[in-house]
Amino acid sequence: MSGLSADVLAAIDAIEAGPQRPSVGAFFDLDGTLVAGYTAATFYGDRLKGRDVSPAEFLRTVVTAVDGELGGDPTRIAHVAFSAMRGESEEAFADLGERLFRSKIAGTIRRESRALVMAHQRAGHTVAVASAATSYQIAPVARDLGVEHLVCTQLVVEDGQFTGATDGPMLWGRHKASGVRAFAKEHALDLSTSYAYGNGYEDVAFLSSVGHPTALNPHRDLRSAAARLGWPVLDLSDPVGGSLIAAGRTAAALAGMNTGVVAGLAYGLLRRDGKEGRNLAVKLATSLPMSLAGVTVEVLNRERLWTHRPAIFVANHQSALDIPVLGNLLERDFTIVAKKEARWDPRAMVGSVVIDPAYIDRSDSESARATLDGVVDRIRAGTSLMIFPEGTRSATPVLGPFRKGAFHLAAQAGVPIVPVVLRNTGELMRRSSFVLNPGVVDVCVLEPETDWSVDDMSERIAALHTKFEQTLAKWPS
Amino acid sequence: MSAREDFERWGGAAAFGAAPELTPMQTLMWRAERHPVQSSTTTVIIDLDRAPDWKRFVAATEWGTGLVRRLRQRVVDPVVPTAAPTWADDPTFDLGYHLRRERVSSREEMLAQAAQIALRPFDRSRPLWEGVLFEGVGDGAAYVLKIHHALADPLGTVQLLSMLQSGKRTHTARKPLGEDAVAPADADPVDLAVSGLRTDVATLPDSVLATARTLGHAAARPQAVVASTLRYGASVRRLLSQAAPPSPELSPRTGKMWSFLTLDAPLEQLRSVARQGGGTLDDAGVALVLGGLRRYHGRRGARIREIPVGVRVSLDRADDLGNRFAGAIISGPLAIEDPVDRVAAVRGEVLSLHTERALEVLDAAAPLLNRMPSFVGASALRTASVPDAFVLTLPGPPRKRYMAGAEVQGMYVLGPLPGAALTVCLVTCGDTACIGVNVDASAVADLDQLAESLAEGVEEFISVVE
Repeated sequence: MSGLSADVLAAIDAIEAGPQRPSVGAFFDLDGTLVAGYTAATFYGDRLKGRDVSPAEFLRTVVTAVDGELGGDPTRIAHVAFSAMRGESEEAFADLGERLFRSKIAGTIRRESRALVMAHQRAGHTVAVASAATSYQIAPVARDLGVEHLVCTQLVVEDGQFTGATDGPMLWGRHKASGVRAFAKEHALDLSTSYAYGNGYEDVAFLSSVGHPTALNPHRDLRSAAARLGWPVLDLSDPVGGSLIAAGRTAAALAGMNTGVVAGLAYGLLRRDGKEGRNLAVKLATSLPMSLAGVTVEVLNRERLWTHRPAIFVANHQSALDIPVLGNLLERDFTIVAKKEARWDPRAMVGSVVIDPAYIDRSDSESARATLDGVVDRIRAGTSLMIFPEGTRSATPVLGPFRKGAFHLAAQAGVPIVPVVLRNTGELMRRSSFVLNPGVVDVCVLEPETDWSVDDMSERIAALHTKFEQTLAKWPS
Repeated sequence: MSAREDFERWGGAAAFGAAPELTPMQTLMWRAERHPVQSSTTTVIIDLDRAPDWKRFVAATEWGTGLVRRLRQRVVDPVVPTAAPTWADDPTFDLGYHLRRERVSSREEMLAQAAQIALRPFDRSRPLWEGVLFEGVGDGAAYVLKIHHALADPLGTVQLLSMLQSGKRTHTARKPLGEDAVAPADADPVDLAVSGLRTDVATLPDSVLATARTLGHAAARPQAVVASTLRYGASVRRLLSQAAPPSPELSPRTGKMWSFLTLDAPLEQLRSVARQGGGTLDDAGVALVLGGLRRYHGRRGARIREIPVGVRVSLDRADDLGNRFAGAIISGPLAIEDPVDRVAAVRGEVLSLHTERALEVLDAAAPLLNRMPSFVGASALRTASVPDAFVLTLPGPPRKRYMAGAEVQGMYVLGPLPGAALTVCLVTCGDTACIGVNVDASAVADLDQLAESLAEGVEEFISVVE
C-alpha cells in the first residue's frame, strides 16, 4: 500500500508523463489545498487566546465574516484583521508564524498535497505557493515543502511595524490570477503547460490561468463549476485529528504497554532469565499497545531486519510512535541511544525500563564519548542499536540532516548499518501530541550497508540521506 | 455542391420557429417592452457588393417569408395574462409594408438612417420585422433588417439570415417552398385567456400538491433549506452587486439616441490572441472592446480600473455554443495594457460566474413574473443591474453568401441598449469578425474619439500577432 489514493497516483503519473522543465509552473493555493483548514483561523485563534482582541474588534470581525458568507465582499474580513495589526512588530509576527507552524499548522499539511508538490519538483517545474494569505502564514509551510516562490498578499511595513495597509491588492480571486500571470511573465513560464491547484470558489480565475487546472478538495460551488468546465477534481484525505475515541484508545495502549512490561519482566523473574524476560517485555509492550490503538505495520523487506545482526538500525524520526514501531519490528536484543532529557518523558519512560537505553548528555561531550564507548562494547556483545540520526523529531515528514554519531559507532564496532524508512507515523501521532490515531504505518527496510570507515563516511552518509529522501518521495511497491 | 448545401439549409429555415407559444423569457421581454429605453429589437446591417435587382430582391424576400412562416405571423396576447402569448398567421400580411428601398449618398448616412429605423417602435399587431434596402452606399448597397426579440434573438437572427442567403450569385430556379398543407394558425385573445385559465385550474391540484411537498421537505430539514436559501440569496447578491461601479465617462444615458458604428477585424488574428490568453473568441471580443474603451478613457483623462460588462454565459458547457445562456455582468479590466493578459483576465471573470448558483435567476423568475401585470416584469428587468457595455459573439456564415445576386461583404448586428452605454456584437463572417456597435450618443461626450479608440483596439490585437 502506497498510502496515496488511486486518483493522486494517476495525477502524479500524468505529471511524470508531461513536460519536465522549469518553464512549466505549478501553483498551489495554501488554505484548504496544501493544508487542511484555514491558517488565518489558527492565527486569529491565537490572538483571541492572548486577549489581543477587543470586544468591538471581535464583533466587527464576526459581522464582516457573516456578511462575506452572505454575498458581501469576502476580502473585507482580512482588511479588518490587517488594520487591527497596525503598529505590531513584523519580527514578532514572523516569530509567531514560526511558532504556530511548529505547534499547529505543520500537522495540517496534507500528505497527498506534499506528494503532488514533490512530483512537480522532481519534474523540474517551477513550484510556487499562490495565496491570499500573508508570507508570515505561508513561508514556514513553503520552506518545509522546499518551495522557493511565494505569490501572496504583501503587508506594508514601516520601521519594522505594520501600517495596517496592504501593498497592492489582496491576492484573492481575480487578483491572485493576475499575480500568477505576472509571476509567469517574470519567470518566463508557459502557462498553457502549467498546473494550478485550488479549492475555493474564488479560485476559478486563478485555475483558469493555466492549461492544467485541478480543483482540489473543492468548495461546493467550485465543485459544480469544475463539473461544468470539465476540470479534474481531486479529493485528498485530511490529516487525522485526535478524536475522543483515539484518546481513549491511547489510554488503553499505555495501559497495555505497562501490562506488557510487567508481564514480560515477571516471566523473566520466574524463569530466572532476565534477558529473555526483557525481550518478551519488549514484544508485549510494543505489540499490545499498537493493536489496542488500532495501529498496524506494513513492512517492505522485513527479512533485512534479521540478516545482519548485530547492527545499527538508523531510522527517520517524526513521532513518539517511531520508538514502539521500531521496537515492535526489531523484537529482541536491541537498545537505543537517547538524549538525557528523554529519560523523563512519560511516553518513553516505561519502555526505557526494559530496553536499558544509553543516555547521552549532549551538553557534556566528554561524558558522551564515555557513554558511546560503553555502547560499542554492548554492540560487539550482540545487542543491536537503534538510532535516529536526525537527532530530533521533525515537525513534518521532511528529512532533517543526518548526524554522524551512528556511523562512527558502526565504524568503531565494525557492524553494518541497516536503514529503516518510516512513513506516516507523524500523521498517526503528531509531534508533541499524546494522542495516537488508528492507521497503518508503512515501513521500508533498505539494503544494509557494511564496512564503514571514517575516510568516505561523509559521502556515504549523504548518499544514504538521498536514498531516504527518494524512498519517502516515491514509496516502493 | 453549394446548391445541395443551399437546399439543406433552406429546409432547415422552413423549420425555424415552430413553437406556437412564446417562451417564458420571450414573454417577459414582450410584455415588459418599453421601446426604445427597454427595447427588444435587433438590427442587422448587411453590406452588399452591388445593388441587387429590386424585383429579384422582392421576389426572394417573398419566397423567404413563405418558407419561414413566422415572418408572416403576429403575436396574440391573451386579454388577461393567464397564458403565454401565441403566434398566429396575420391575415392582412402585405410584403410592401415590411420591405422598401431607399437611396443614400454615403455609408455614414445609411448608418444614421439605420439607427433611426431601429429607434422607431414596431406595430405590435403585425409581423415583427422591417427591411430596407439602401442603394448608393459607395459602389454597393446595404440591407438593413430590424427584427423583434420575440421573433428571433440576435443569435437566431444571424442564423436565420445565413440560412436564407444563397451560396451562389446566380438565381436558383426551383427553390423549396414551405409546406402548403400546414393548418393555419389562428388565435383569439379571449379564447387564449380562457384556455389558459382552464389549464391553470386543471393543474391546480398538482401544483398545490407540489407546494405541499416542498413545504413538507422544508419542515423536515429546516437547516438544509435555510442554508440553501441563504446560499442562493448570497449568490444573487454577488451577481447583482459585485461588478465594478459604472464609469462616469459613459453617462448620462437616456437610451433614446442610438448611434451605429461598424468595425472589421481579421478573425484568424483574434483567434490567435484568444488562444495565447487561454480564452475563447467570446473572451477575445470582450477584451478587444475593453481595449478600445481603455484608450477612450485614457484620452478623456479618466483613470478607471474596471467597468461592468454584460456577457453571455453558456449554461451547458463553458466552451461550446450550447442552447441555454444566461446574461451576467463581470468586472471588465480597463487597466491591463497587454491584450493577451486582458483576454486571460476576462476569461477568469467569465468562468468565475460558473460558481454562482443563481446564474439562471432571471430565467427561473420569468414564469412567475409573467403572471403579474406587465409593469412588474418591466421593473424586474430594470433592477437587474445595468452594465456599461454588453458584448456578444455570434457565429455567422462560414463562407461567401449572396442575396439576390449581390455578394454579402459584411454582416453587422446592432443590439438594443437596455440601459447600457454600448452594445457590441461580433459576428463571424467568413474570415472576418464584423463588429457592430450601438452607442448611446447621450452618454458619450466624443463619438469620433470613441470610434477611433475602438479601431485602435482592433489594431492592438492585430499587432500582437505580427
